[in-house]
Amino acid sequence: MKNFIGIDIGSLATKIVLINDGNLLDHKTERSTYDFKRVGHNLFDEILTEHHLERKDVFVMSTGYGRNTIDIADDRVTEITAHARGAQYFFPDASSVIDIGGQDSKAIVMSKKTGSVVDFQMNDKCAAGTGRFLEVMAHALEVPIDQFGVLAMQSNKPASISSTCTVFAESEVISLFARGASKQDIASGIHKSIARRVAGMAKRIGVSPKLVFCGGVAKNDAVKKYLEEELGFEIIRPEYPQLTGAIGAAIIAQEKNKD
Amino acid sequence: MQALEIFEGFSHYLKEMKSQGKKVIAFISHDNIPEELIDAAGFIPLRLIFAGNDELMDASHDYLPPSTCAFAQTCIGLFALKPRQFDFLELVDYFIVSNHCVSDICASEVICKYFNIPRINFYTSYMRNSNSEKYFRLEIAEFRNKLEEIRDAVISDEMIIESISRYNEFRQVIKEINNLKLQGGLKLKLMQKAFLFGPKILPELREFIASNEDSRTNTSNSIDLLLTGCSIFINDILIDLIEEGGGNVLFFDTWIGYNYYSQQFEENAFDNIQNPIDLLASRFVNNIYGDHSVPNFLENRIAHIEKIYRDYNQKTGKKLGIINHIIKFCDHHSLMSSFFKNKLQEKGIQVLNIERDYSRANRGQLSTRIEAYLEMISE
Repeated sequence: MKNFIGIDIGSLATKIVLINDGNLLDHKTERSTYDFKRVGHNLFDEILTEHHLERKDVFVMSTGYGRNTIDIADDRVTEITAHARGAQYFFPDASSVIDIGGQDSKAIVMSKKTGSVVDFQMNDKCAAGTGRFLEVMAHALEVPIDQFGVLAMQSNKPASISSTCTVFAESEVISLFARGASKQDIASGIHKSIARRVAGMAKRIGVSPKLVFCGGVAKNDAVKKYLEEELGFEIIRPEYPQLTGAIGAAIIAQEKNKD
Repeated sequence: MQALEIFEGFSHYLKEMKSQGKKVIAFISHDNIPEELIDAAGFIPLRLIFAGNDELMDASHDYLPPSTCAFAQTCIGLFALKPRQFDFLELVDYFIVSNHCVSDICASEVICKYFNIPRINFYTSYMRNSNSEKYFRLEIAEFRNKLEEIRDAVISDEMIIESISRYNEFRQVIKEINNLKLQGGLKLKLMQKAFLFGPKILPELREFIASNEDSRTNTSNSIDLLLTGCSIFINDILIDLIEEGGGNVLFFDTWIGYNYYSQQFEENAFDNIQNPIDLLASRFVNNIYGDHSVPNFLENRIAHIEKIYRDYNQKTGKKLGIINHIIKFCDHHSLMSSFFKNKLQEKGIQVLNIERDYSRANRGQLSTRIEAYLEMISE
């Protein structure tokens, strides 16, 4: 067996990758929707068809919150282990990971000797510190989500957002507007707020330099900048931050099927 | 064993006891309530050891904010939600207001005040020294007086000694259940049932132990765990999530488990006993693992867990997983959780702190944390 598929069924997006001999051959991403099983099946069928593969030619490892319910998986692994392994795929000497996804965020510390996970922390069941927080705030500011980070980078005096709750933060944004704060400063404050929250969680488990920032939110330059400020060191981003979990799952599948 | 079987016959049993004129004394369980005195008075101690859910927690918010300990919310919800989830709660005659923690006091007071249940106070000191022992004796005497007043008759020393002896045997049986080589979930459910019925079901428990003494549930594919922190109460899904994720709780280092049976008296403690209250006071003073064991409670707990870990590791060559279960807004455990984890991790023992409430929305994330931890320690 040479072909390994990692499928990461996240709360907002489903990501699938195909690797062969450790090389990333293909990847696809689609919104998970309520019917994430169908989305997963469609992506799986597409990737097999496009690469002229049959079901028996691949080993499938699932991860993400839908890992236990997708029936195409041969095996499953949690997103914690998958992200750690995925980060090491991009950066073999990675020491820690921060992953900010659609509805959760996590920090992971790996052993410098073995590369295995030694500690992790996940956010509570709360949108603060997740991609959802940014989505809600971008909507409140009427800015497309992919432009939100760009807008935040235009400010050098971020507004102070004291609330850690998404609902209250939205009200706070409205009152900041009323007080005449600029859109850029508010956007910047929002990004700083999410970074502060996630960095606090990450510091509690002792993350260190060579930290890989992944998940969909890693594409946002402003979050990266403020995370670096909060942590006090530079962080690194893989080429495909959103695919880290799926790639990690595929690599784990490959390692498990070495013989 | 399904959760429903835990309650089988319980309502009927309580109704029967009530019809015999016995009073039901409910309380939020903790290790210093002298249940032996309640038993000696001929009354039925009813521990509130029921896990919550969204409906129960929501029902409590008319009385306390959602930032109250999720277990305390649940206890209030048990009385506030109509129709009640457990009809036997209608049979409660008195409620003990105690001070195991702030939430314990708040929930007990709310239950007494708003659901018209007469209260009995039983407060204990957080220190373990000669002054707190004196205070504990005063509270015991007061408690005994109150129970005598309710039953309108004296509770003799002999009656108390008999109850202490019966509960001592009960603790021994709980210890034996915890030591059985069975799946953790099964042992837990049996202990939960035992805590609900008390020594009344000693024959049933003895029979279970005798028929399972040599049983060995095949848990070779599971990762063995020690559960510490807050107990897993009746109807909680946590034990199922642990087992579905590939873990098996070998050792319950919680109030339903070790913290309870470790307070067993040695057999010779009953020799030449002058005053049974001396026994109860000595138990309070010697309870070094209980939360009321200031100073050094946490240090004792860490040393105790480290010993269990090392013994297990030496015997099996494997890591023993440590899950520290924290009910959200439980001041006792959540404030100390980081220190607890860091101290054990410094000793090379990996710990999973699970802080959660009883809402259904938690289920997926709880599973992920547990499974990720099991993956981590099996690497």
